[in-house]
Amino acid sequence: MDLCIDRLTVDFGSVLALENVSMDLHNGEVTVLAGPNGAGKSTLLSVLLGLIAPDRGQVRVNGRVAASAGRPSALWLREQLGYLPEAVAFSDNLSGRQVLRFFALARGVSSSRVEDMLERIGLSRAANRRVSTYSRGMRQRLGLGVAILHTPELLVLDEPTGGLDQQGLHLLWEVLEEWKSAGRLVAMSTHELALIERRATRVHVLVDGVLRASGTPAELRDKSGLPLEMRVGPGLDEVYEELIGAEEWAV
Amino acid sequence: MGRVAVAVVLHELQERARDRWVVVVTGLFALLAVGIAAYGSAAEDTAAVVMAPSLVTLAAFLVPLVALVLGHDAIVGERERHTLGLLMSLPVRRSEILVAKYVGRLIALVFAVVLGLGSAAVFLEAGQRGVVLSLLPPTLLLGAAFLSIGVLISTSTQRVATAASMAIAVWFLVVFAYDLGLLAALVATDGALSQDTITWAVVLNPAGLYRTALIARLVGDTALGDLGMAVQLPGIAARTAIWASWIALPLAVGALQLGRRKAVTA
Repeated sequence: MDLCIDRLTVDFGSVLALENVSMDLHNGEVTVLAGPNGAGKSTLLSVLLGLIAPDRGQVRVNGRVAASAGRPSALWLREQLGYLPEAVAFSDNLSGRQVLRFFALARGVSSSRVEDMLERIGLSRAANRRVSTYSRGMRQRLGLGVAILHTPELLVLDEPTGGLDQQGLHLLWEVLEEWKSAGRLVAMSTHELALIERRATRVHVLVDGVLRASGTPAELRDKSGLPLEMRVGPGLDEVYEELIGAEEWAV
Repeated sequence: MGRVAVAVVLHELQERARDRWVVVVTGLFALLAVGIAAYGSAAEDTAAVVMAPSLVTLAAFLVPLVALVLGHDAIVGERERHTLGLLMSLPVRRSEILVAKYVGRLIALVFAVVLGLGSAAVFLEAGQRGVVLSLLPPTLLLGAAFLSIGVLISTSTQRVATAASMAIAVWFLVVFAYDLGLLAALVATDGALSQDTITWAVVLNPAGLYRTALIARLVGDTALGDLGMAVQLPGIAARTAIWASWIALPLAVGALQLGRRKAVTA
């Protein structure tokens, strides 16, 4: 899947959440959106998800328009994506197994896959417990299970590392590698660049709805002009700090 | 109805079965209906005669409440729990999600009404049982109309507490205060309103249409004359149009609101 975001603008009246943002996302890439709170990362992901209709610009998938001004993303795109929200939540009345079964039915996935997924996300023993009794890390793992249940071509992860326990982080790294090696696409937002640095193929830095910089982690290091350290280069977290503080950046 | 919508309907049913407010109000309706039926079957003459109209009056008060409780958090509840984004990212139109939520909750409402009136019917003789069971279709129409209003409230509000307050206010205004308002209008105009005007004003309210149509059927048209209404209620076509409007219009407006919302989770 090749995804082209073309001059996307989202205007909430008092706030210009995205302004003429363009970027390309390619097969087998883990694309990371970085930026401070209110930078527009989640807004961009929400446009892909069909939760927000853009005011201007387009989203194209393999050349086909999936979202455009006033029109949220098409059902055929949403068929192919899986989503892990930042503050993932489910009905507290349901058990983990019931949650996965609901999404399996909605996504046309067999119920046997639900059991495999429970095993994979380490919730088999807690499968019949109400979600309200789950820790934040367990909910996040359940959310990741929901997102990958139907093996989507595009995986959208909004701040996926927040609240994840060690087991969840390990699962997340595994999923990112799996998606990359299978030639699928991952689009994710994060504050924790240092954590995600080694897994990111490309990083796009957004500040106040404007795309400040784009490139591979190595390219961003070069652009930043920060001095090299013994560990080969500055940590991407430092690069990020530099980027969001810079007045102008070449995209 | 597509795959996602079917999943949403089943999901709604699972959730409603564990919703304590729905369980409490449904239980209360069943309990009071059984009480009226038990009283009617135990007594001779007049008590038996007024049993069915009493059930109508009970249903006219409680079924709208059950329906509004069921409907008021359909969308705003998901928004407040932060589950709406995940739901709306599924490959389905926003309006279809709304309709699926309505259908899921309507099935729960059917269960509540059948449980209430069915429990009452168990205590009655065969003849009376038939009368009580004949109340089911209009009672379901009444519930369906208020459920639609509840779902509209859920798309129009930003917080569950606001939606709940609005649902209670609608219930109070439409079920209680509306008739008092009509009486006040009659007094204020010194009886200048015609019987036809009063009749139309009553039957345009779903609770009023339910009550008057069933009381006319159970007790006879003279009961309406005593209430100052025209002896003849609007015909079946007009009544069908009123029910259809109350069920379809709020749902359509809710779907339009949800569809036009720029940021569905905001």
